[in-house]
Amino acid sequence: MVTDNNVKLTVPAQPEFVDLVRLTLFGLATKLKFSYEEIEDMKVAVSEACNNAVLHAYQGTGGHIDIEFGWIGEEELQITIRDHGESFQAPEASRTSNLHGKSIEEIQSGGLGLYLMQALMDRVELNTENGTAVTLTKRRTAPETV
Amino acid sequence: MKTDKLSFRTENREGLTVIYLSGELDLEVASQMRTTMEPLVELADRKLVLNLKDLKYIDSTGIGILIGIVKARHARQAPFAVEEVSDHIRKLFDMTGISPFLDSARA
Repeated sequence: MVTDNNVKLTVPAQPEFVDLVRLTLFGLATKLKFSYEEIEDMKVAVSEACNNAVLHAYQGTGGHIDIEFGWIGEEELQITIRDHGESFQAPEASRTSNLHGKSIEEIQSGGLGLYLMQALMDRVELNTENGTAVTLTKRRTAPETV
Repeated sequence: MKTDKLSFRTENREGLTVIYLSGELDLEVASQMRTTMEPLVELADRKLVLNLKDLKYIDSTGIGILIGIVKARHARQAPFAVEEVSDHIRKLFDMTGISPFLDSARA
């Protein structure tokens, strides 16, 4: 991320702060004229990345999540969710999976978070040096002109 | 930090229990949701319906809880369905593939 206009937020890696990240994203994405549907998609994807950090990064020892929002070019919002804990090794956090074509006995929730991130965003990049950084990118469709 | 981000209202009709969820179903309220649903899931002789009309947000945490309910009801051969799902939440259900398991008991 290159611009000086990036917005940064640091929250404790605890479940009750993930909605604060969503609220911040909502405010910023609204300001940038993303559509309602695009914002809803991003809220889920960003929460999934935060959930992984809350559940897997610090093994209950406490820590923080750094979120950085960057506006790339004229049309892309890039959001990096970074923790400084155990790198994304927990299998349930680094696996992608869905329920399509499975029987009721086979379905389970593991892998849904990463699957949703990939399905809802245009790009998902994972970096696992010194903790985990997930970079999510969403392209804005042209705002409607009135 | 205590919030009322998810609330429940239960309505009992003949042979049917409807739970109206209101608010946000995320990691913060996951254990509250599980605890609330646990005794209701056990009632095998009643049909269980989750009304999602006022549910504003769900992610894989909430979908994981729904998977647990689907499996528990299936094990008891007891009917379960969701109703009044908003377009955005329906999209997430379709994307993840949980939709066919949520409509099977629709009366």
